[in-house]
Amino acid sequence: MSSNNASKNISNEIKTVDFRKGARGVFVWGQITPEGFPHDVAYELLGIGREIADKLETHLTSVLIGHNVKQFAEDLIHHGADRVVIVDDPKLETFSVLPYTRVITSVIEKLKPEAFLFGATTFGRELAPRVAARVHTGLSADCTMFDVGEYVNRRRKQRFEKVLRMIRPSFGESKLATILGPWTYPQMASARPGVFKPLPKDTTRTGEIIEFAIDFKSEDFLVEVVDVHIAEGEQVDLKGAKIIISGGRGVGEEGFKLLRELVQILREKGYKAELGASRGAVEAGYISSKHQVGQTGTIVRPDYYFAIGISGAIQHLAGMKESKYIIAINKDSEAPIFSVANYGIVGDYQDVVPLLIEIAKKGELTFPDL
Amino acid sequence: MTKKKFTIGVLIKQVPIPSQMRATKEGLMDRSVASMMNPYCKHALEAALQLKDTIGEDRVEIWVASMGPPNFEQSLREALSMGADHAVLLSDRKLAGSDTYATAKALSALLNTLGVDFDIIFAGLQTIDGDTAHVGPQVAERMELPHVSYVEGIEYKGDHLIVHRILEGGSITYKVPLPCLLTITNTANTPRGPRLKYAIQARKKEIKTYSVADIGLKDDEVGLIGSPTIVWRVKNVTHDRPPCQFMEGETVEEKVEHLLQAIASPQVEEEKTEV
Ligand SMILES: Cc1cc2nc3c(=O)[nH]c(=O)nc-3n(C[C@H](O)[C@H](O)[C@H](O)COP(=O)(O)OP(=O)(O)OC[C@H]3O[C@@H](n4cnc5c(N)ncnc54)[C@H](O)[C@@H]3O)c2cc1C
Ligand SMILES: Nc1ncnc2c1ncn2[C@@H]1O[C@H](COP(=O)(O)O)[C@@H](O)[C@H]1O
Repeated sequence: MSSNNASKNISNEIKTVDFRKGARGVFVWGQITPEGFPHDVAYELLGIGREIADKLETHLTSVLIGHNVKQFAEDLIHHGADRVVIVDDPKLETFSVLPYTRVITSVIEKLKPEAFLFGATTFGRELAPRVAARVHTGLSADCTMFDVGEYVNRRRKQRFEKVLRMIRPSFGESKLATILGPWTYPQMASARPGVFKPLPKDTTRTGEIIEFAIDFKSEDFLVEVVDVHIAEGEQVDLKGAKIIISGGRGVGEEGFKLLRELVQILREKGYKAELGASRGAVEAGYISSKHQVGQTGTIVRPDYYFAIGISGAIQHLAGMKESKYIIAINKDSEAPIFSVANYGIVGDYQDVVPLLIEIAKKGELTFPDL
Repeated sequence: MTKKKFTIGVLIKQVPIPSQMRATKEGLMDRSVASMMNPYCKHALEAALQLKDTIGEDRVEIWVASMGPPNFEQSLREALSMGADHAVLLSDRKLAGSDTYATAKALSALLNTLGVDFDIIFAGLQTIDGDTAHVGPQVAERMELPHVSYVEGIEYKGDHLIVHRILEGGSITYKVPLPCLLTITNTANTPRGPRLKYAIQARKKEIKTYSVADIGLKDDEVGLIGSPTIVWRVKNVTHDRPPCQFMEGETVEEKVEHLLQAIASPQVEEEKTEV
């Protein structure tokens, strides 16, 4: 038998199947920050969620959990939601994984979404896996792209329509893997913050707002919130800066004084410059966490990013690798930071930074187009 | 009656060393290359060992558990030589292709099979190969334990813990009852190296190996068939940024001079040649 015939036979047996069992709609978590406002990623998820919902020809719902959060519902509708589900309770004011898991799983059981997206924030990455395990579905982590399309599984002789394609960096970010899970619903994923674009605000958009009551159990509150600490102090505008001078653990307390001085001089020369830092430097106590760039800091996209004494851990890169030009200064020529840098100097910051300061003072450190 | 020892479980995974990480033809992680203990798991083990130092060496027992091919024994032995007391390995061909859902199912079944009453289970926040941060929370859910992810600091208070977890721009402090599961970040501590007195014992210690049948699961509950997700396609990422241009020069002055020139005259897009 020719191979042509064989494949025909197989394809004849393939059946189109659908395990949604009526589950419909794309749901996204409208995460609230500890300060009590919707997180940027709540809007980013509405942007990508809208796109997915349109491809699936279904509606988009944002699930807003916290205390005094109803005030944000309309804004979420203006940014793409067809519906906002509100779960408001003083006990939900600060994120805690057990009660939040109860809320999301109750919403899933009652409203039966076909897809549920979370921001891959530190809260999202704590919550989503617990929810997925409880509702017995798959979960794809930290996605940077989504699509919808057909999927044929020859071994199981199944053909699926309109499957969510969840695409994520893998193998040390060197590859993109597409994850599928059309056997269990909802299809769940977390989406990397800062990647997806929010929709422009449209105040003519209308939608439905529903308040949802939860039947909590005593074991949902086994863990108590003792304290929330948010970095305070000087205003740090990393998002608005055109030039960021960032230091790491390799730049000690003394080194940060030099970096501050450089930032100050650049500002005097009329540049929008800001001081950044790695978590390594923040952890070591050299600088306040307001300056931290990266996965648990601020995600930045300046024209020029100077990484000084920063090794280039993946969590740091996640926050700065979209910068237009990256300049790395590091003693170690093997440091991973050089893998994303445009320009590199292998050397000691103690030699390089004072020189840069001197040159900047003379007005000779100039940046075209700034 | 003697009180049972305070018992800590640590979930440990072995990962390819980063420069060797690559996919097999089937799109799975190639596990035949040189490998090491996942860095976050080392921090998790260090957290366990520090707790042992706090509570008292002879009052605490640490079990390390792993799921993977037989060569994962390397990391388990390393854990023993750092001071863990017992090591177990779940190893079975039927586990191949397990996603995080199936992995957590298998690992929790393994822990339950040991017949040990864990007071705390530690996991790494994430692995550097799977990089999901799923398995810890999913094991906790299956074992009906409260959990906290992103843990950077732990204070032992007898019947409960005070736990500090990092978040974007700050931290939260939780009071967590025992038993519980915590996933540990890479900024939580500095892992110790092997200790001579343990290293010698570690070489002789038996590492008990379990099969899928041993932990009471059916073949179709694990592996590819027991996983709700599959990897459908793997594509290479094309970088649009050219490789780093290192500033040359005999002296720092020359290097900095070259940097100034480079910044002043941004690179022209290289012409793309189709191959
Ligand atoms: C959940 C989680 C979230 C995280 N979020 C973030 C985040 O948002 N942002 C972030 O940055 N990190 C984050 N991290 C931490 C991250 O993984 C790294 O631990 C951290 O970024 C390392 O900081 P570093 O590069 O300053 O320090 P190190 O890794 O210690 O690197 C110091 C570097 O300085 C170089 N050096 C030393 N001396 C000199 C000298 N005299 N001159 C020049 N170079 C020198 C060394 O060669 C080395 O490369 C996170 C980690 C976790 C687990
Ligand atoms: N195969 C495994 N064996 C033992 N522990 C694992 C395994 N996979 C994951 N873990 C644990 O779960 C953590 C998170 O892994 P991951 O969800 O893969 O990012 C790891 O740091 C380990 O503590």
